[in-house]
Amino acid sequence: MARNEMMNRIPLLAGAAFLGALIAFPFIFDGPNDSYLMHVMITAFFYAILASSWSMLAGYAGQFSFGHMAFMGIGAYTTALFCHYFYLSPEPTGLCAELQIGSTWLVVVDPIGVTSTTLNQDCLRQAMEAWGGAVEVTRMPILLGIVLGTIMGGLFGFLVGLLVLRLRAAYLALFTLGFSEIVKATISAEIDITRGQAGMELPPLFENGVTLFGVYYGPTAKLPPYFVMLALLLTCLAILTWLARSKFGLFVRALREDQDAAAALGVNTTRYKVLVFTITTAMAASAGAVQAHYVGIVTPNMLFLLQTSLVVAMAVIGGLENFVAAAIGAIILQVALEMLRSNIELGGYVIDMTVWRLVFFGVLLMVTLRFFRNGLIAPIINRFARRHVAAETVAARRAAETEDAAR
Amino acid sequence: MEAPGLFWGVIVWMIFWGAVGALVIRARYLHRDLDTSNTVFVGAMTGAALGPVGLAPLWAATPQLGRFLSIAPAILTVLLVAGAFAFADPANICVTNGSFVASQFTNGLMIGIIYGFMALGLTLIFSILGVVSFAHGEFYMIGGMLVYYISAVWFPGISPLIAVLGACAVAFLLGAAFERMFLTPMYHGQIDRPVEYGILVTFGLAFTLQYFVQAVAGASPVKVQRFIDFPRFGLPSKEDPWLMETSRGSLTLFETVSIPNPRFMAAVTCILVLVALLFLLHRTWTGRALRAVSQDREAAAIAGINPDRMNMLAFALGGMIAALAGALLVQAFSWLPQVGNIPAMRSFVIVVLGGLGSLPGAFLGGILVGLVEAAGTGCVPDPQKAASYIPAYGMIVLTLTLLLRPTGLFGRRFAGGVHGAK
Amino acid sequence: MIHLNVSNLHQRFGGLHVLKGVSFEVKGPELIGLIGPNGAGKTTLTNVLDGAITPNSGTVYLNGERIDQLQPYEVARAGLGRTFQVTRAFRRMTVLENLAVPALALGRLGSAAAVREKSMDVLEFLTLDHLRNEYAQALSGGQQKLLELGRLLMLDPDVVILDEPFAGVHPRLMEIIYAYIRRVNAEGKAIIIISHQMDAVFTLSQRLLVLNFGEMIADGPPDEVKRDPAVIEAYLGVDEEEEA
Repeated sequence: MARNEMMNRIPLLAGAAFLGALIAFPFIFDGPNDSYLMHVMITAFFYAILASSWSMLAGYAGQFSFGHMAFMGIGAYTTALFCHYFYLSPEPTGLCAELQIGSTWLVVVDPIGVTSTTLNQDCLRQAMEAWGGAVEVTRMPILLGIVLGTIMGGLFGFLVGLLVLRLRAAYLALFTLGFSEIVKATISAEIDITRGQAGMELPPLFENGVTLFGVYYGPTAKLPPYFVMLALLLTCLAILTWLARSKFGLFVRALREDQDAAAALGVNTTRYKVLVFTITTAMAASAGAVQAHYVGIVTPNMLFLLQTSLVVAMAVIGGLENFVAAAIGAIILQVALEMLRSNIELGGYVIDMTVWRLVFFGVLLMVTLRFFRNGLIAPIINRFARRHVAAETVAARRAAETEDAAR
Repeated sequence: MEAPGLFWGVIVWMIFWGAVGALVIRARYLHRDLDTSNTVFVGAMTGAALGPVGLAPLWAATPQLGRFLSIAPAILTVLLVAGAFAFADPANICVTNGSFVASQFTNGLMIGIIYGFMALGLTLIFSILGVVSFAHGEFYMIGGMLVYYISAVWFPGISPLIAVLGACAVAFLLGAAFERMFLTPMYHGQIDRPVEYGILVTFGLAFTLQYFVQAVAGASPVKVQRFIDFPRFGLPSKEDPWLMETSRGSLTLFETVSIPNPRFMAAVTCILVLVALLFLLHRTWTGRALRAVSQDREAAAIAGINPDRMNMLAFALGGMIAALAGALLVQAFSWLPQVGNIPAMRSFVIVVLGGLGSLPGAFLGGILVGLVEAAGTGCVPDPQKAASYIPAYGMIVLTLTLLLRPTGLFGRRFAGGVHGAK
Repeated sequence: MIHLNVSNLHQRFGGLHVLKGVSFEVKGPELIGLIGPNGAGKTTLTNVLDGAITPNSGTVYLNGERIDQLQPYEVARAGLGRTFQVTRAFRRMTVLENLAVPALALGRLGSAAAVREKSMDVLEFLTLDHLRNEYAQALSGGQQKLLELGRLLMLDPDVVILDEPFAGVHPRLMEIIYAYIRRVNAEGKAIIIISHQMDAVFTLSQRLLVLNFGEMIADGPPDEVKRDPAVIEAYLGVDEEEEA
């Protein structure tokens, strides 16, 4: 029995060890490629958030949305627009649209086009020129932008959830794919506001750097965003775990299995369908907002179908119905994809791995779907987690045999 | 736009009365114990077109909603939107220049025929396998790529006809092989959730194909010469060709409407192949077997038809149709590995609009979407925005369809159940 | 006191008039059989009662509350539960999770421990207790049918509609289903059994409703209904074959 208990704890212990390694990594590792590797890891966490929230939406609730990246983009663009157009000033500009809050003014900068000649012509810059440096204008807090991005993502998720209530499977996939195309098209087209393909620059997560345990990290240091993204991932996983273990998880799985039967048993299917959309899209949006500040620029290209495909593939390969597995799968695959970047020389031919690795990835996705329906990582976790069922299965089989004998 | 307020005001007014019409008319028909299947659509369109003036008689008389009452308000709505646009933006090229409108219309029709043809492949796959192929755009892409490779790289100077046929053959074989390896297991109970599996595995195929082509061909666009030149020609006479005139690269009707050669050839070929396809489906044993499987798998199997083989044939044919569309259009556009994304989206819109699984619906839907896009790209005042919004025009159509008539124009059977709208 | 009052239900699908003014009343813990030839409208009637379909006209009252305009989940909470003709267990959830869904959706049992305790009771009654942590898809067809009944026991509605409970069930499991029906009835609930297995319906039910072409052609004790000329005519030449 003691051995059994040990076995049951293996995934937990392994998880703790993995987490410990992730936390220790930036302190221990100090190689020549330090900042590149940190960047890879931060991106991996970003994808892990998207993959795990998508696995809740698709794997748990059965809502195969292909618009997950659009919500990520909504989060990223919300905070970008917020940082770009809203400022706090102790003096009224007299030129911009502004709102007095106590002793400060909330300044809304007028949107203008992208041409370089007009860069200095927005109302705030004109006012600042007139002041000649006498007045200090501050940006809005970055955290507020991220929170707003999250809320905005959730809000759009709520609306899309309402719109797709009556849609199932293929129709839902088509509609969400279309939604993400609309978002991308709008961002690309409304150049006056979003600057289109040129993208929008954002301030870094910690504009003035940050001091942790007596060590100062500058605004471009990788360590603070590493821990911010890791913390966001862990928060999302904690929320997802809590949801999955509460009746929410039970109901959305019932919804996935049979919507009509769930409704006939008293489950308010509408409510849970909309809720699961809202929560998971808000997570995607928060990841997008943080990533936008970390990378420092947002462009419509981050919404390309490739990105959605990557998230879907990571979740499927990790294990569609287990968001922890999906997150681990995303981290492993993102790191693997980065490591496969270097070219391979084969008998005089140079194989450009930057594209070929994606081909292998696609093949891996199809093979996983065909032969490993629970993904590659989830079965390992389940194997330990469901060991106690094995004993009962034997009993069940025995019972079934007696039943057959009775026939 | 001179008076955007007018235009958007009219739009908001229409949306308001459309929503009121959809709700009120449906409730009224339900209350009177009448057939409600078409009431949302008719109510919305009548409300949008005529406002309370149209809704009141509909509410009072509750007539049977036949073909006329379904179509007339919809057409009136479109005309009213166009009229409001003309009033709001009188200087727009769509309003001032009749020949531009005619050109735009004809080209929209041509391209719509090609879209419809491509969507036909998607709907064929769906009606027989019950799978929406997310790799449809990639078949379109490889069709064009193969024509480029065959006619310009591997066998320079070869007849474009052979290149097109070769592309179709390769796409057919690829579709058949994929179906046998990845989709057949769905029909033998080896897959837990077949609908979701079908979506994801075709999505995986799309991903793989797209990057495979990018790895082989690179990310820079390729271009193919136009296949044939028009012979010089004039109607009624060469000297005074007011009816029709051709040059090598284009065809001019009534001295105003100009159609580029590649589009014209592609549309004509599509129509010819469509006729051949209809012949196959209705006059041959294989075609009848295909249709039998699409109606009832079990019954067809009992009648001695091998449904697995029909699945393979349908998927291969569907993929080949998309590849043919690509092979014909590669002479008109520059070709990239990502070129299939937008046509794929468009095909999805078209099949939902036409009704999933309906062949005539796909064709008519294609023409409608082609016209909507032509109007969108031609008339939106800022041309750069107009081009960026291309994917959105189709999506507006899709959203309206799903809201007002989830079964599509002709769809009935497939709208329910596990595949689609409830 | 249980009181289900169905009055003058009409339902159309396109040009098809499926229910033509169906009315009946259930008072107290009755055990009712609902029979009728294929296409008579039995399943449609169930769907209307359950809220899956909103009727074109007519009303349904349950214990004084009007339920014909409610959503299915509201109907379930108001006290009307049903099973489906084709078994619809949540296949990739465990047996215990299947039972927990209605219990938690209603929230009457309070703590998780109470839910588990009642689930174990139910599973013992249905002889499924050794399978409690298995996924429902691992169960045989008959066991899945029992699981569906178990979910209804957890929902504990006042009126239970069983759609073809005996179709394709092993005789040994049939005994359990009989016991289930008697137990629920003894607890003071009303049961409506829709079935093509006439012998089972005739033995079990105290009252028989006969639906034909969307009309209720007979309503009374089984012996009386059996002799009703309209019923005999409706069934003339119709074998007791099962609906596909």
